[in-house]
Amino acid sequence: MDALGGLLTGFSVILTPENLYLCLLGSVIGTLVGVLPGVGPLAALALLLPVTFTLTPVGGMVMLASIFYGAMYGGSTTSILLNIPGEAASVVTCIDGHQMARQGRAGAALGIAALGSFIAGTLGVIVMTFFAPLIAAAAIRFGPPENFGLMVLGLVCTLFMITGSTLKGVLMIALGFLSAAVGIDVVNGQERFTFGSINLSGGIELLAVVIGLFGVAEVLANVEKMLQSTLLTERIRNLWPTLADWRAAWRPMLRGSGLGFVLGLVPGGGPVTASFMSYALEKRIADRPDRFGKGAIEGVAGPESANNAAVAGSIIPVLSLGIPGNPVTALLLGALIIHGVQPGPLFMTQRPDLFWGIVASMYIGNVFLLLLNLPLVGLWAQLLRIPYRVLFPVVLLLSVVGTYSANKNVFDLWVMLGFGVAGYVLRKLEYDLAPFVIAFVLAPLLEQSLRQSLVMSPDGAMILLQRPVTALLLACSAILVVLMFTRQSRTEGGSR
Amino acid sequence: MKRTVLACLAAGAALAIVALPAAAQDPKAELAKLKPRDFPTQPIEYVVVYPAGGGMDVTARLLAKHVEKWSGDKVIVNNRTGGAGMVGHSYLATQAKPDGYTVGILASLVWGDAMLRAQARWSLNDLEPIGYLNSDALTWVGRADGPYKGMTLQQIVQAGKDKPGTIRIATVPGSMWDYLIEQVEAASGAKFLRVPFQGGGAGITALVGGNVDVAQGFYSEFRGHLASGSVAPLAVASSGRMDFLKDMPTFNEALGGNEYLWQVIRFAVVPRGTPADRKAYLGAQVQTAMKDPELTEEYKKQGVYFDPKLAGSANVANDLQTYVEAERQFYVKTGRLK
Repeated sequence: MDALGGLLTGFSVILTPENLYLCLLGSVIGTLVGVLPGVGPLAALALLLPVTFTLTPVGGMVMLASIFYGAMYGGSTTSILLNIPGEAASVVTCIDGHQMARQGRAGAALGIAALGSFIAGTLGVIVMTFFAPLIAAAAIRFGPPENFGLMVLGLVCTLFMITGSTLKGVLMIALGFLSAAVGIDVVNGQERFTFGSINLSGGIELLAVVIGLFGVAEVLANVEKMLQSTLLTERIRNLWPTLADWRAAWRPMLRGSGLGFVLGLVPGGGPVTASFMSYALEKRIADRPDRFGKGAIEGVAGPESANNAAVAGSIIPVLSLGIPGNPVTALLLGALIIHGVQPGPLFMTQRPDLFWGIVASMYIGNVFLLLLNLPLVGLWAQLLRIPYRVLFPVVLLLSVVGTYSANKNVFDLWVMLGFGVAGYVLRKLEYDLAPFVIAFVLAPLLEQSLRQSLVMSPDGAMILLQRPVTALLLACSAILVVLMFTRQSRTEGGSR
Repeated sequence: MKRTVLACLAAGAALAIVALPAAAQDPKAELAKLKPRDFPTQPIEYVVVYPAGGGMDVTARLLAKHVEKWSGDKVIVNNRTGGAGMVGHSYLATQAKPDGYTVGILASLVWGDAMLRAQARWSLNDLEPIGYLNSDALTWVGRADGPYKGMTLQQIVQAGKDKPGTIRIATVPGSMWDYLIEQVEAASGAKFLRVPFQGGGAGITALVGGNVDVAQGFYSEFRGHLASGSVAPLAVASSGRMDFLKDMPTFNEALGGNEYLWQVIRFAVVPRGTPADRKAYLGAQVQTAMKDPELTEEYKKQGVYFDPKLAGSANVANDLQTYVEAERQFYVKTGRLK
């Protein structure tokens, strides 16, 4: 079945009142889950999984998938308005998005985030429509050495995220690596840095770290400034992005879409990695990188597009190979299996109604989400008028609920609190938290892929050069590092 | 010590079994007869120690659906995850209230946790089996092309003997994936190159991508690739051949032996100290659901099988003990356990 015929089948499946309703419902829930800090798509999907048992397989999947990408739309809202990420994939959006809000341009930031999400989401589905089998075939050949190359490139990109002191930034990356080393060693199964604690044997939970560092720490930091009763007292101007905003944002959106899509395909990758890398990329290629961190619209447009494209990218391996790359897509796979459907290489030909139905629903869902989110921009902006004494207890409550719901383990709450206090102190000392998080996310993948590559290689480290894709990725990383040093020494020479 | 385990498990299970009449006419009515007067007054929690959406989670949710159908009680599946299952296992053994509202839906991987990693903080005595669900046996699969194309298990083992350390095999460190390789190597003198992955599925993916030569996994993990012709099954580590793949030999047949038995057995437990009447009722719930062909069909669709020694067992705790013992002996033999 060719792509267009398949898509027609898909639309014929999806254009029933019930399925459209489920898609809309999922979009609304997803937006809400994204907006609420602490509660992320994983918690929402796990909670709603039983509800889908009573639905048809198509209906259930349509709803769950739309919650997943819907959360990517909503996630930026609190990042921009409150400097508290709605979910992990919107952490970087805080950096410039919140600065824009402080400059009275919250509306523009929210609008660009919604439009970027729509464009990236739709582009992702278009690519999925026409190339899913091809992409799946390429993705499965991506082995440990290729993953290692990609992770090194990612690591080099994190160097560009450092603002202020390089030493402090590198220190945060090192700390991120160290924290990620806690848990069971991937190669010999031994426990590391667990101090005999059962709770540490699986490592530190990413969600607890992110909610602590960004949610709890931000609340703590703001409690100091309780004197002023609302976040922004001035009127919010410019509810919509201007033509100039649009001109600055469209290229980052397209780059973010491409980057996010590719990172979504990689096992262990997904929206979180995609948003960080996109931010680093935009900062790297910007004419004036110094604008970043001070309200650069590229820093919102890129990552917010990247995380949506990553959703489309990460759904491909699940539907066309039955391979989930992250916990959310693992849940989607589980939902299909409970309905008695086992996705695999033949899924597309054996269950075209399901495969194409889900693809078609993603076109419709993205339109729903755009129509839903643009008018909401004005409403969300009103959040800023809520007094701190009401807002922050709610944020803390949601943080606790969101953290606990991930593993149902009270220990994670202590981790969240610990990282909250640490984040507060580190911020006071002017340490960047974003490099810590991205190092924490990349480290396990980096370590595992390197050690796997070395184990499976007959010629030791040579495998990294023998694999063309790996060699190419490593070469790119090397060039980036050299460029960074030459630029640095040039600026230092100039200032002398 | 060993004997107390046996006695404890046996005594516990006996209570659960007494309740089950051999020929129940109306399962719903039979089940209602066993229902304690004051129980349950709130939803029953099925604890799964692995993340939502995984094989264990699906098993528990399907069971919960059918237990609700037959008993009318409300069942909630709760994923208490972390530490590759260790956090949830410890929770069930040491923290969960033994009041009947907590039931663990476990895989036999809990045995390794109890024997090797619990460090005397808890033991298998703390978890009392109340019903058997299903099993999955570890299978070796090779590639449909490449240098080892069309080889049988014996030929691959021979190749591993002739050129030690060249055949790349996917494994999951510190678990039965590793143990099975260890047994094959010890018995044959072959040597494989073990490439570590975080789960069986990831290894199968690496196999299809040509990054390893042999992978180990469950039927549900590789059947999609089998259907598309990209992988070839070699042998299964169960006592008998699988219904789905009648042509595939068992390890014991192919290599001659009786020790190659590595499977995930899924069963339900309650924390030790759960009141006898509640435990009996919970056990009867599980066993009534398991008699429903609708549930067993759904399980079969997932690619699992039912161990004839355990399915419909009159004393599941006792029958599981045989497998626990075999595993314990392997740990003792290999110096992992004193």
